Amino acid sequence: MKTRLLWGIMFLVLIISSVSQAATEIRIAGFGGNDQNIVEELIARFVETELAAQGVKIIYEPIADDYPRYILNALSAGTAADLFYMDIFWAKNVIKTGAVEPLDSYLQDSAVLSKDDIVTSLLEGFTVDGSLYGIPKDFNSLALFYNKDLFDIAGVEYPNSEDTWESLEQKLEKVVAIDQNFIGMALQPDFARMGALAYANGWEPFVGNETNLLAPEFKEAFAVYTDLKAKGLGLMPADIGQGWGGGAFATGNTATCLEGAWIIGFLRDQAPNLNYDATLLPKSTATGERGNFIFTVAWGINADSQNKELTFKVLEALTSPAAQQWVLERGLAIPSRKSLVDNPYFENETKEAQANKIVFIGAATGQVKPFSFKEYGGKWIDPINAALAEVMSGQSTVEQALATAQKRLDEDVMK
Amino acid sequence: MENKWRFLKEKSAPYLLLTPFVIWFLIFFGYAFIRVLFFSFTDYDLFATPRFVGLSNFQGLFREFLFARALKNSLTYAIIVTTFQTIGALILAVVLNYKIRGIKFFRAAYYMPSVTSSVVITLIFIWLFQRKGVINYLLTLFAQYRLLIWVFLIFFLISQTLLVLKEKWRQRPVSIFEPSYVVLSLLLAVVITFLLKTGGFISILTVQPLETIWLNTRETTPNWAGSLAFPRPLAAIMFLNIWTTIPTFMLLYLAGLQDIPLSLYQAAEVDGASTVQKFWYVTVPQLRHITFLVVTMGLISTLQMFDQVAIIGGQAPQESIITLAYYVYVTMFPRSAIAEVGMASAAALVLAVLTLIIVVIQQRVTGERRYKSE
Amino acid sequence: MSELSSNQQSQVELQFRIRRKRWLNVGAVYLILILISFLFMGPFLFGAISSLKDNPTEWPPTIQTAQLSPRNWLGAFNLARQAGSGGLFGQFKAGKMVQLKVTYRFPAGHEVVLPEVSIPVRVAGSGQAALDLTQKYAADYLEVSAVEEIKRWTEGGAIYAEYQIMISNPSHFNFDIVPLNLKVPYQVEFVQGTLTPNNIERLGMVQSWKNISSGLIPYIFHNYDRVFNENYSRSTGRSLFLSWVLNSFFISIMRVITTLILAAMAGYVLARLKFVGQKLFFVLILFSMMIPAQVTFISNYLVLRDGVFGLSKMFGVNSLLNTFSGLIIQGMVSGSAVFIMKQFFAGLPRSLEESACIDGASTYQTFFKIMLPLAKPALGALTILTFQGTWNDFFMPLVIITSPMDKFPLTVGLLSFRIMYGAAGMAWGPILAGAIISALPIIILFVVFQKYFVEGISFTGLKG
Repeated sequence: MKTRLLWGIMFLVLIISSVSQAATEIRIAGFGGNDQNIVEELIARFVETELAAQGVKIIYEPIADDYPRYILNALSAGTAADLFYMDIFWAKNVIKTGAVEPLDSYLQDSAVLSKDDIVTSLLEGFTVDGSLYGIPKDFNSLALFYNKDLFDIAGVEYPNSEDTWESLEQKLEKVVAIDQNFIGMALQPDFARMGALAYANGWEPFVGNETNLLAPEFKEAFAVYTDLKAKGLGLMPADIGQGWGGGAFATGNTATCLEGAWIIGFLRDQAPNLNYDATLLPKSTATGERGNFIFTVAWGINADSQNKELTFKVLEALTSPAAQQWVLERGLAIPSRKSLVDNPYFENETKEAQANKIVFIGAATGQVKPFSFKEYGGKWIDPINAALAEVMSGQSTVEQALATAQKRLDEDVMK
Repeated sequence: MENKWRFLKEKSAPYLLLTPFVIWFLIFFGYAFIRVLFFSFTDYDLFATPRFVGLSNFQGLFREFLFARALKNSLTYAIIVTTFQTIGALILAVVLNYKIRGIKFFRAAYYMPSVTSSVVITLIFIWLFQRKGVINYLLTLFAQYRLLIWVFLIFFLISQTLLVLKEKWRQRPVSIFEPSYVVLSLLLAVVITFLLKTGGFISILTVQPLETIWLNTRETTPNWAGSLAFPRPLAAIMFLNIWTTIPTFMLLYLAGLQDIPLSLYQAAEVDGASTVQKFWYVTVPQLRHITFLVVTMGLISTLQMFDQVAIIGGQAPQESIITLAYYVYVTMFPRSAIAEVGMASAAALVLAVLTLIIVVIQQRVTGERRYKSE
Repeated sequence: MSELSSNQQSQVELQFRIRRKRWLNVGAVYLILILISFLFMGPFLFGAISSLKDNPTEWPPTIQTAQLSPRNWLGAFNLARQAGSGGLFGQFKAGKMVQLKVTYRFPAGHEVVLPEVSIPVRVAGSGQAALDLTQKYAADYLEVSAVEEIKRWTEGGAIYAEYQIMISNPSHFNFDIVPLNLKVPYQVEFVQGTLTPNNIERLGMVQSWKNISSGLIPYIFHNYDRVFNENYSRSTGRSLFLSWVLNSFFISIMRVITTLILAAMAGYVLARLKFVGQKLFFVLILFSMMIPAQVTFISNYLVLRDGVFGLSKMFGVNSLLNTFSGLIIQGMVSGSAVFIMKQFFAGLPRSLEESACIDGASTYQTFFKIMLPLAKPALGALTILTFQGTWNDFFMPLVIITSPMDKFPLTVGLLSFRIMYGAAGMAWGPILAGAIISALPIIILFVVFQKYFVEGISFTGLKG
């Protein structure tokens, strides 16, 4: 008897404890890792001060691993946060499910945020059927990072914004000739690098619903990139035991690499004394144009949110000019507001500020395309990456590898 | 009234004891399995309601490159790892089946890899298999010292043969691996090799440091196997898994060894059986039921290999190490696109059926049906 | 007579020979055992040693690391003492001065020049420190007071020069971290110094130290320092590693309890009771043992997501994802646990219950008072197996718990650790250090309960 009473009491307690909740909560979801620190600071500095009066409580949920999985499943289960990150890589897939709130009407009524404030090329990846679904928070593009020491030792002029791939190759040849341990360029077998060359040649990833890897523009870019390895001017990072171009660059033996501003924080930790600088990607030898990718992440609002108006207020605070300037000054990300191009930070002489500036400019010069590939995502890139690796490790010729990749794209991915 | 209540209580007792398990089993296994079966015939992305699509998920699977890779990788992995770990565990158990002081310590020490989580071990192994890692270093060392090692082995064999022949000539019973002679021959071979080295007759070779890329490569191994060759990163995972599972299965074998009646060995000795013959004709058949268990457990666990693939992650090309279990996971939770629950379920079913088929074939081959004996 | 004595003599000789042989045999066996130990323990030991290194992937991989050299211990200790602190744990105190010696080798024909000494500003590229621009940097306060050549000699055509560097802190502040850079021209080689540099960069031109006044313990265990100091929960401030270990313990213990109770009850009934469809049910259990978790997780994930058909809403929880309850409920018992218990109970004689029944005991009383105590060996084995299984379980926690980080069990925590430090090239120092510490609890547990672990395994072998 006694025990039954006890169970009964416990059950009551459970029910009572579950009912007693009040106050408006806005839940925010984002990436874990380094980004978590930034968002926490932003919330403390710019959001809570603004919205504390309205009785809003911010609950921040950083997702440490596999963020896309979290957001898709949370949205489908109706448990997703009110405000969340969307990577340009998969944003349109989520938007198409109808789980993300279109922002146009909110932007019309907003006094502090409008479409025109944001770097224009960032918006395309979050626009579906003319409606905007996400406000980009920051972005990245590729730049050519180079190690000044190696060019100094070889007595070669630094790479600059006038270089084409041909003239860059000539410079690298001289650097590599000095010492057999010197590596001209870290060549990641990745479309996220090589694709910039193809875009510079004028290649379009999708013509209608078709992808043509055998188009001369693509083939030529593919050959230029893989030939660097064949000519002894570059190595895959894996060849020297590194996971990516930045790792190879940090060893100090690698003259150049194609990376974005994400390399900066890494170099601070791994090679604090590395004497580097950055310049715009080389131009295509054939067209004289530049190509580039845009990598960006936006804030989106949950269509099922109970407090959409308030959530939009939080979004405004997170992307306010003051908040974005604060982010920029830490040198860890490049915020998305156009007006920041005149920010005094970019006038600093430090290597980091200069590299950030190049990345900022790079996103708006030449054939720049968002890093997203319709609904195919990673599956679309995999065959190209496999082809790059096969050619660069000497297992296959350019023709064979591209034919195989095209076949995989046609039969597996875009069927 | 009271009596009837008691009677009911007594009658229902077994069912009540069984109920919690049955409920759990029905939800987390029965329902789960039936649902996977259902999903496998539908197109479902977690948002819209599932749409019946017939067999097209299965057709899609067998057209997909990554799935074909996963299937091939899983099968090669299961067969090779199970074979080696079974043989290794048996040999180790026979070696460790001594009743000497401190044997418990050694058994415990060997068991350590099995206690530690696969995550820890995989992390340490990724590090060992780096391009500038310990494995490559040891291989380089071996290449440098190979001349010395050969000389040493040759002299060891010569000396051992001579010693054994001498005993045989005196008509004394002696085994080829007589431990005392092994020690003697080892010492002799070490001394000779050392003398030859200091005398300058043989030397350490200078070789380029070996820089095999074990993980981040699309190369296959072994070279002579043609289309049957498997990706080198998969080979690294095989090493790892054989290493971690040998001790567990060794303990099973040890328990089995202790149950073999000594009289069988004595009888074999009377018949003049050598050590090797005793191993083949007494130990192996007597351990048959353990071998059956080890192979079954090995096959089931290798077919669901997942942890190592997930932890190695970007350190190796996905298509080189992907297994069926991992394929199901990445199809259910893709990095970039909407969940393909239908495809994931279809692949999961293939994995389940494959496991069943392999276990049944294995039962037929070893010809024993322990589970059915109930 | 003589025949007898010679027989005796050969007996003695035989005895002697047998004894000698036995010694050699035992020796050979131990030799083999020790060699195999290296095979199974080597990776752990070498990993543990390398987790102290600045660069665990250096070539050749030796066990002679800078962090294990007594010379550097002395150097780290002395530098911290000069900086005004204890030596074991260091800080550069106000008004103190530190003296450092370094030797360089100048190739023949190269001009001998003083190294450029600087105290750089090191801003972290990751972690909380990267955001704090207001902290005081040693670079803004400390001074390089003197760089002098104290010795020079020639050896094999090259010139060797030894320099003495004085660094002083004229400010009123104490500094925890004092990094140092030395720069020499291209092709000049660093030979040795009071403390081996942590990094040699820019083609050998720059030698850099992370913290010259760290003190002995942080110098040796710098990677472990990073593991604990760079990873703590932002909301509670607790070390993530500690949380992960505690979570793993909690989940494992809960699962052991639920498994023991449910499996014993079900196993007993299945061993004794006859009911319709029993055989089929038993075959289903065997079947479930062969089906990988990767098959059933698709539905189980959705079941937990929806709070087990909405039942959890009664307790005010919408979804059981990201909860310990979800993880525990999903794995509260297993087919194989029931199987083991069933086999065990089936092996016990029926007469026990029959006599209990005559004494008037109910089924519950028989089960709890008589059968359960008899099942101790099986329960013991099951405890160990379940504990070990849950502790090492990776897949289901990965599926069920994605956030927040301080809810991870150790296995998933380690994966996030590997992703965090491996995102930009593998930072092997902290990764190895993390792997080694997280292996410690289970290894200690194993050493203490060794007997049960080994018995547990044998038990499944014999009874399964």
